[in-house]
Amino acid sequence: MTTTADTLIPATDITDNQTVAVTLEGKNILICKANGDYYAVDNQCTHQRAELTGGRIRNCFLACPLHGVRFDLRTGKPLGELTRVALKTYPVSVADDGNLHLELD
Amino acid sequence: MSDLNKVKQQGDKRCEGISYQNLLDDETIEVPAYLREDTNPYMGNDDISVDRWISRDFHEQEKEKLWPKVWQMTCREEDIPEVGDHHIYEIVDQSIIVTRTGENEFKGFINSCLHRGRILRDCDGHADEFVCPFHGATWDINGNFKGIPCKWDFSHLDEKDMSLPQVQIGTWGGFIFINFDENCVPLEDYLNPLPEHFSRFPLHDYYKGAHVQRVVQCNWKVGAEAFMESFHTLETHSEILTFTGDANSQYDTFGDHISRSVTPMGIASPHRPEVTEEEIMRDILELSGRMATDSAEGHEMPEGLTARTYVAETNREMFSEIIGESLDHATKSELEDAILYMLFPNTQVWTGYHGNIVYRFLPNGDDHNSCIFETMILMRYEKGTKRPDPAEKNILRPDQAFSEAPEIGGLGPVFDQDDSNMAAVQKGMIASRKGAVSLASYQESRIRHLHQTIDKYLNA
Repeated sequence: MTTTADTLIPATDITDNQTVAVTLEGKNILICKANGDYYAVDNQCTHQRAELTGGRIRNCFLACPLHGVRFDLRTGKPLGELTRVALKTYPVSVADDGNLHLELD
Repeated sequence: MSDLNKVKQQGDKRCEGISYQNLLDDETIEVPAYLREDTNPYMGNDDISVDRWISRDFHEQEKEKLWPKVWQMTCREEDIPEVGDHHIYEIVDQSIIVTRTGENEFKGFINSCLHRGRILRDCDGHADEFVCPFHGATWDINGNFKGIPCKWDFSHLDEKDMSLPQVQIGTWGGFIFINFDENCVPLEDYLNPLPEHFSRFPLHDYYKGAHVQRVVQCNWKVGAEAFMESFHTLETHSEILTFTGDANSQYDTFGDHISRSVTPMGIASPHRPEVTEEEIMRDILELSGRMATDSAEGHEMPEGLTARTYVAETNREMFSEIIGESLDHATKSELEDAILYMLFPNTQVWTGYHGNIVYRFLPNGDDHNSCIFETMILMRYEKGTKRPDPAEKNILRPDQAFSEAPEIGGLGPVFDQDDSNMAAVQKGMIASRKGAVSLASYQESRIRHLHQTIDKYLNA
């Protein structure tokens, strides 16, 4: 079942290449903005479970602060050899009230 | 079949069409000195053994004596914009971490942990320090050793130099180069006279608008050579002959490391004498992929003007508008011709006021029968506005066509035509009973120049 969760974060509060961690329904989720678009992924690297908060974003790729694994924010797929497991991604939208909404399953 | 072997043009055996230097005589503004250079010393006509492209032994010689000695382009400065950003440059079996260590400072580290040898960084990215993912040995971004967990077990490392080994590093045109040889000549000497020839084109100020990569099933030199002569236009790209002065291209060599081809555009091929100015104008706009517009709709040839002049003026006006700067000083040649330089051994860059195309051919790891072909397009942007971020590299699968990369526009279909030869050349060379190739004296002279310089490194 899909549930929509209000992050209570105004879309305008996140700038390009910024990450914001939120806890929704008990999940630690990282909201990112890249090239003007919003993305949400599990806030846990699939290599060693490190938090991805503050990871550098270039184009649509988020780099883990620990060992540098890069994940494509659009698909969650990693680059390089450290992990072959994709990050879980969640659809994000900007609601009428201007806040970011996530679809969780 | 055309027969264009009459002696004409500058020097001895040249095509009977108008020469590039004669075209420059028609320029209405001052022609910069670099375009007036016309230098092509005779290098011989001997056949060249196919072993140079297909044998494992030759690849091993390059691995031992060429790649460890040459300056090689790794990436753009804009690819690693912040301190701590790095690019992993791989050549044959070597791996280098190219890192920005200051606003205008870069270092290149051997990508290998001094503890157990694991590569320190797996991919491009950002790091405040380099932590080996295996056991956690750590270096700062300047290569200074910071420590390793369980220090009590490593007291024997105290007397050792644990700094990360570095390679030589240099920059030109916004590109970062490395050289493994600590006794190498300085980059600026190696590149001479390239910086002077590009003085009107500050590539370091441009941004990378496109970057496409694909593996091609041929030796890296077969790939590079596909872009070093315009002789192949007649058979490989016949649809562009209406506006391409293929056989009357000029080929130059400058020292060991730089060569150039200039293919006049906006004139019909000497192989197509019947083409009208109207057809030249229409086809160059619609097919070249490098002009200011890709449609001839609404364009009509004004009475008394040549297509070369009309298209150059159209480009001048539209390019100026895009960048918000006057291009009154630009020659017609710089506004439309294909002026392509080779930086030995494997990088090629276009001058001109259109998007500046860059090619690079890297061996595909340790495989001498395949290579990695990359193309970038360096773009200008409106003066006073923020420099756009560089394009992310689009890595095509080996079965994809270059025309599936929309960001390179009209170049894609042209590359697909070149691609139809590259793997086939490798295959044909392997099958060859002649065991050698016979190069054209003039039109393929840059290929001979490439091989003669390779020999200088292999025989050093």
